[in-house]
Amino acid sequence: MALFADLSTPIVMGILLGGLYAVIALGLSLVFGVVKEMNVAHGDLVILGSYFGYAGMTIVGIDPILSLIIGMPILFGLGFAIQKYLLNRAFRISMDATLMMAFGISIITQNTCQLVWTPFPRGLTTPYALKSFNIGPMRFPLVYLLDFIVAIAVMLFLRELLRRTYLGMAIRAAAQDRKAAHLMGINTDQVFALTFAIALAFAAIAGVFLGLTFPFTPISGMPFLIIALGVVVLGGLGSIVGTFIGGIAFGLAQTLGGHFFGVAAQMLVAYTMVLVVLAVIPRGIFGR
Amino acid sequence: MVVRKGIKVTVAKLRKGLILSIGVIVVLALFPIIGVPRVWLLYLFLFFIYLTMANMWNLLAGYSGLVSLCPAAFIGLAGYTMTIMTWLGLPYYVGILPGAIVAALFAMLISIPVFRMRGIYFAIGTLVVPEILRVVFLLWKPVGGPMDGGGRGYTVHGVAEVSRSQPYWLALAIGIASIFLMRYILRSKFGTGLAAIRDNDNTAASCGINVFSLKLYSFVIAAFVMGIAGTIFYIYQGFIEPTSAFSVRWLITLMLATVIGGEGTEEGPIVGTIIVVILYFLLARYAEISLIIQGIILLGIMLLAPQGIVGSIRETRTYQSLFQLATRR
Repeated sequence: MALFADLSTPIVMGILLGGLYAVIALGLSLVFGVVKEMNVAHGDLVILGSYFGYAGMTIVGIDPILSLIIGMPILFGLGFAIQKYLLNRAFRISMDATLMMAFGISIITQNTCQLVWTPFPRGLTTPYALKSFNIGPMRFPLVYLLDFIVAIAVMLFLRELLRRTYLGMAIRAAAQDRKAAHLMGINTDQVFALTFAIALAFAAIAGVFLGLTFPFTPISGMPFLIIALGVVVLGGLGSIVGTFIGGIAFGLAQTLGGHFFGVAAQMLVAYTMVLVVLAVIPRGIFGR
Repeated sequence: MVVRKGIKVTVAKLRKGLILSIGVIVVLALFPIIGVPRVWLLYLFLFFIYLTMANMWNLLAGYSGLVSLCPAAFIGLAGYTMTIMTWLGLPYYVGILPGAIVAALFAMLISIPVFRMRGIYFAIGTLVVPEILRVVFLLWKPVGGPMDGGGRGYTVHGVAEVSRSQPYWLALAIGIASIFLMRYILRSKFGTGLAAIRDNDNTAASCGINVFSLKLYSFVIAAFVMGIAGTIFYIYQGFIEPTSAFSVRWLITLMLATVIGGEGTEEGPIVGTIIVVILYFLLARYAEISLIIQGIILLGIMLLAPQGIVGSIRETRTYQSLFQLATRR
């Protein structure tokens, strides 16, 4: 029974970590749900966001969260260009073509990061990154709480964006029926490019908070991509609440897996969960 | 009369082609003996290994409609099986077949969850598999002491004293075999069934083709052959380690070779692999930007000639008229 006694620590950690996973998965979910393409480069682009935070910290000397003022527009523009000039053309050919192009983008991003910032692990070490807070007798790192708060903020922002703005309505229309939206006078290519751009702006946010939480290398995009895919599939396509709950489920899987089977095996639990979710409930819990 | 003459001509043509290809194979096999530079042998070795894998990837993605992102799982698993067998005191060549069998069995095992998924979900599901194996082999140390295995990897025992030409011959054999296997498969009932599935799986199913089992067969065959190629690669390399064995780079190489040449064409992987290996040779000195350039080439091909080189040539008018000339009786 001693094993279950201090279960509350991994549970709280898992829920907070779930916030980070939800932010990482949000961009992927948006692209997956609206443009219907699987962006396998998402993990690497998130890591690119981490490196922008790192560059802001080391070169300019500003706080990584503040550096998002520069990082988000850059990734927004990059996302717009990628979708407009590459992926929009590819999905007229086939689904495989977009997948392969995304792989191309993934290796280019990964190796550019490696070229510029070397393969050594980096971390965004800020004064508050090492601070912690107490709930009763338990102590938790402050950044985990930050991850969770940011997740909620980003999700509310996306929800309002999709509900209230013209762009949001256009995105939802294009997601529901591409052809009908096009016939209604929506420039779907433009909408898809903007969707991808927004997704990458979220990737920039996710990247900075990932860098605050974990050390990263140019090739650490893959594990996060897989977890994000799991989150998206579990949450159901196009559901923001689902993505949030999916994120928490994977955060819990990881921390509880680490608790029961050791830290080294925690990713194994999360990965296996991805496979099980895909096989058993591919439509997700909130999917239509 | 005319028909018989036609048959005679085709037979003569076939025989000519056969003699030519046997001649090429013999010359290639003699390369290590006549003292061709080592670098050539290395790149030819890589050519045959990648060719085998690209052929199998083409069988899956181009002919069976299975965009399977897990070749690294089969390659790494087969390589590990062979390596572990050498640690148990067996000579390396004993491990080739068991390695491939383990890969094929593993393909059957993962087909249980993975074949429930379709389209993009299948791609996601197969992408996860090599990552799972990577973590497993980082943790699991089947043989050796505490200083071996895991992240440190295993050396393949008993290959240090073996000459470099033996893995070369093995690679040559499997490379040629994979070409003939593809020829055989595509001209068999199995191959026509696959083509029907690729074009429209609902129609194929309603024509009495067992879609599930045909896809499963090609998945398992591909795993088996990729497994053989994987073991041969690790015999040559003499060292195996989880991060590179289950790396996504395998997939990128195979994808690049197949896509450049032309996915869903028989000659595509051959043309593509030649280009990829030449590319490796040219970029060997610029290791740090090599993958960036490969990525750019992948994007360029997808934008300019999504059917690949062979696919694009086939669409040109010259090829069409030549093809008509050649097949006219």
